[in-house]
Amino acid sequence: MSQTLPIDPFKIWKDIYDKTEAAWNDAIQDSLGKESFSEGMGQTLNNYLQYQEFVTNTAETYLKQFNMPTRGEVANVASLVINLENKIDSLEDQLESLKDDSTKEINSLKRTISSLDKKLDSILTAIENNDKKTTPAVPTKK
Amino acid sequence: MIYSSMKEVESWVDKMPDEYKSSYNRFKRMTEVLTNEPEPLVGQTPKEVIWTKNKTKLYRYQPAVKKTNKVPLLMVYALINKPYILDLAPGNSLIEHLTNQGHDVYLLDWGTPGYEDRHNKLEDYIMDYIPRAAKKVLQTSDAKEFSMLGYCMGGTMTSIFAALHPELPIRNLIFMTSPFDFSDAGHYTNWLDKRHFNLDKLVDTMGNIPHEMIDFGNKLLNPIPNFYGPYMSLADRADNEGFVEGWKLMQKWLKDGIPFPGEAYRQWIRDFYQENKLINDKLYVRGHQVKLSNIKANILNIAASRDNIAAPKQVEPLNDKVSSKSKAFHLLETGHVSVAVGRKAINETFPLVDKWLRDHSK
Repeated sequence: MSQTLPIDPFKIWKDIYDKTEAAWNDAIQDSLGKESFSEGMGQTLNNYLQYQEFVTNTAETYLKQFNMPTRGEVANVASLVINLENKIDSLEDQLESLKDDSTKEINSLKRTISSLDKKLDSILTAIENNDKKTTPAVPTKK
Repeated sequence: MIYSSMKEVESWVDKMPDEYKSSYNRFKRMTEVLTNEPEPLVGQTPKEVIWTKNKTKLYRYQPAVKKTNKVPLLMVYALINKPYILDLAPGNSLIEHLTNQGHDVYLLDWGTPGYEDRHNKLEDYIMDYIPRAAKKVLQTSDAKEFSMLGYCMGGTMTSIFAALHPELPIRNLIFMTSPFDFSDAGHYTNWLDKRHFNLDKLVDTMGNIPHEMIDFGNKLLNPIPNFYGPYMSLADRADNEGFVEGWKLMQKWLKDGIPFPGEAYRQWIRDFYQENKLINDKLYVRGHQVKLSNIKANILNIAASRDNIAAPKQVEPLNDKVSSKSKAFHLLETGHVSVAVGRKAINETFPLVDKWLRDHSK
């Protein structure tokens, strides 16, 4: 037997959400677009930043009194490591360029030698051919 | 004790009508998801780290899979949130899809900045990190040209990089929901107005801008659907395991943000949202003028119609500025995040990017 409940609380909740969401959204979007909202948001942010600044300064003073490193000091050490890594990275880059350059030069030298080799071969062939032409097949008697 | 009372409640619920039982089971499942269940695994496509600098890592994906497209693709993500949204889960990952299709995919992961990185500027990332990553991509793939894909703010950074380096062999540029014109950035234009928003005080006090602050601003753009909508959807569909898995993945990513490096944030808000310098050729990076007209690579510019972080009207103007011979603007009926994950992304975005890249890499 299939039973149905006259009132399903979840369905009611979902229906209310679906029906009111669009209307609420329009009203909220209107409010969000107003200059007074931007102004209020800016003021809230300023208040929060003032509080945050107070907390940061208090924490730093406390840490300094107890000879403990502050967040800024720990970050400075990290920056030194990062700077060192940047130098290694730049050295690696230069080494790679040098490697690329020397590979290019070696390849260029190889091409030049190979071309010289071919020229020498053709000169040798020409000399041999010339010798064959000038040397008679049967030696002549004087 | 609790266990036995739960058993009693359940035996009582069993006697109730079906509709009520179903509501109770959904509520029970929702409670489990919100309280007991471990976080889902993300970023599962096999990858190797080929370069690191500070917290940044350059990944190459599925190096063992044969690369049929010889033009590698470098992905650049935004400085907020984590880039695994591009590799969320098997079957729901742009990176997995592209690598399976034979593309050689690399991703620049900025990592999580610490307090020591609060002085990092946008130009540090654009002029020091991206060029080195591009060089590594070309070396590793042994290619003569490469393509880039920038998502959200990563696309804006990519456009600046491409405009400043016309000498580099950039063949293709894909932008996914990246804002370029900030003349009307919706509510942000009012909220970040210089008269009300104390930018310098914020950066000087906070150092890095906490993710929660940026996330709150993004959610406030559309508060009811963003703050309550996800829980309403979960309560409504908690009996659908497929939906629950997707919901958990998305919530993990949304909450897993990273701080925005302070100085970069100051530039991002001032030069882009407050003064709209990029599209008007007024942006200077380390003294070099950024002219988008220097870009000559093929362009695919993707916008999402329901995007209120990078609205289509902020995305499209790029195409009028660049000098590329081949440039396409593509509007998808989706949102800022669902352009990269979910059913719509799997059926439309992934094949679109794959085909366009293949056609423009021959």
